[in-house]
Amino acid sequence: MALFHKVLRGTYILRKCSKPTSALHPLLGIRFADYSSSLQKPVASPGKASSQRKTEGGLQGHHQKEAALDITCPEEKPDVSFDKAIRDEAMDHFRRLKDEIVNHWKGPEGRPLQEALLEQAKVVWQFRGKEDLDKWRVTSDKTIGGRSEVFLKMGKNNQSALLYGTLSSEAPQDGESARSGYCAMISRIPRGAFERKLSYDWSQFNTLYLRVRGDGRPWMVNIKEDTDFLQRTNQMYSYFMFTRGGPYWQEVKIPFSKFFFSNRGRIRDVQHELLLDKISSIGFTLADKVDGPFFLEIDFIGVFTDPAHTEEFAYENSPELNPRLFK
Amino acid sequence: MNPLAQPIIYTTMITGTLITTLSSHWFLAWVGLEMNMLAFIPILMKKTNPRSTEAAIKYFLMQSTASMVLMMAIISNNLLSGCWTTTSYINQPPSLMMMTALAMKLGMAPFHFWVPEVTQGTPLTSGLLLLTWQKLAPISIMYQIHPSINIHILLTLSTLSTAMGSWGGLNQTQLRKILGYSSITHMGWMMMTLVYNPMTTIFYLTIYIILTTTMFLTLNLSSSTTTLMLSRTWNKSTHLAPLMAPILMSLGGLPPLTGFLPKWIIIQELTMNNSFLIPSIMTIMTLLNLYFYMRLIYTTSLTLFPTSNNTKMTWQLENTKPMPLIPPLIITSTLLLPISPLLLTFH
Repeated sequence: MALFHKVLRGTYILRKCSKPTSALHPLLGIRFADYSSSLQKPVASPGKASSQRKTEGGLQGHHQKEAALDITCPEEKPDVSFDKAIRDEAMDHFRRLKDEIVNHWKGPEGRPLQEALLEQAKVVWQFRGKEDLDKWRVTSDKTIGGRSEVFLKMGKNNQSALLYGTLSSEAPQDGESARSGYCAMISRIPRGAFERKLSYDWSQFNTLYLRVRGDGRPWMVNIKEDTDFLQRTNQMYSYFMFTRGGPYWQEVKIPFSKFFFSNRGRIRDVQHELLLDKISSIGFTLADKVDGPFFLEIDFIGVFTDPAHTEEFAYENSPELNPRLFK
Repeated sequence: MNPLAQPIIYTTMITGTLITTLSSHWFLAWVGLEMNMLAFIPILMKKTNPRSTEAAIKYFLMQSTASMVLMMAIISNNLLSGCWTTTSYINQPPSLMMMTALAMKLGMAPFHFWVPEVTQGTPLTSGLLLLTWQKLAPISIMYQIHPSINIHILLTLSTLSTAMGSWGGLNQTQLRKILGYSSITHMGWMMMTLVYNPMTTIFYLTIYIILTTTMFLTLNLSSSTTTLMLSRTWNKSTHLAPLMAPILMSLGGLPPLTGFLPKWIIIQELTMNNSFLIPSIMTIMTLLNLYFYMRLIYTTSLTLFPTSNNTKMTWQLENTKPMPLIPPLIITSTLLLPISPLLLTFH
């Protein structure tokens, strides 16, 4: 992976000391340690050097033009070492493994059991810095050729996250897509040592709590369970979140019993409750077929136990649609 | 489940186990294992949710892989010795393959990762059958091949199972996973004396089935699947809350309860065979098991955990769930130690 990253850096056309885009990080899956190439600067011939000096003088006050591939920025000399990158990555993973083993000894999620059992509310995601944004990824129908755009940045005073963009329901001209127009923000799956998938255990809570400020658009909250099978990655549990718009913050409480089951975007006839012991990710989707700009500001996302809510599951299965369930 | 299909499925499951335990031909024993596995799949999928389906698929994949390895071992043994009978001596390579296959079926370390996942994904009654009935057929085969088993590998698997089962169950809050890890630990103890005295293994298995059945039925009665739900048992079934303590202590092997008896026999058997280090390691590892059982006892029986439900008088309402055999099972799982000389005559 480090070698692949090194090759990518070497093939940049615009050399403005830029780092590889963060869009690649989800694809490649692991963070890269900064490293610099051990390439030497090419030695210019005397004739070329004098002409270079003349052109350099003429370029004073102008911005740096496109540089050749193999010339590094004079301001920054990155320190590259392939061995160091591999070593740092391995040390990071072993450190995380050690933390996991120590936390396993202490109790669930590294806290004593009594503390975990007596907890009645928990903030799972909050947005107070750029590192909190790294736990999320945004996607839109641009991946299938659509024209929607979505961005995520920190809000004012670094107290919230702002999800904004433009929704466009214009279908891509690929001959097979008839509908389009969605934007989504999905949390990354928590990873342990050596990139093992982890999951959240919310079994002692019964309600999702969100503090958001929207623009009046209806959003869909999607929760995915942790699974080892590829066929289940399209299964999710969803519910609606209607934003009010306006300057005031909105506190949305959605009991987990209200989430309905869907597979590949279609609500299934056989419904069952969301099991909370292995939650993988949560996401917010906008697909209300209204073209135009949108925004959603999120302060935090948490879970809590509502003692007044005793419902286990809000939906029933129909004996007409699924007679085998009632035999 | 369809009431017409249910007796067929259960009958097939029981028949498969009986075929395996009573047959002396390797092929028939393998057929019994397959019948048992295939009949058990719909039992795991009693509830129609994706988690149960995932658990059933994981169970099927593990068991069918183990069956493939077992068939490979049977055929290899036939090639080397020309025998199809289970009572004849088995050469070392097929014996090793058989032990691997049966360890996978039993959920012994290092093939134990499926046990907590499958137990967690299934209802409590299915989990009970998974951790009790499904052990009978593989252990009966292990009993028959015990003279041919490599003792060093068996001791390694057993010690590893005890360690992994104890370590894995340490910070679990899901009760089915705790019982799954407990099963892994108990499998380690059971297999430890298989080569020295196989009857001890059968004796331990019997006591283990009684203890696990009692635990599962008690959890089913209070419909508890997490530690938090179990901690509110004092509010729902006040008589059941203090009874959990001796059941769990017996499962942890604490004297003077029934669960101590098989561990005592196994330690005695190992020390009689000049093995001191391994029973010491296993006893120390089992303390971890006892630690997380004691945590459950603390939250359930020894303290009145704060409850957030509105009615604190639910214990006054009649419990409509049937309580099959729970009182005699609780007595059996806690008070058998005084009659241990009688039990040991059978052993």
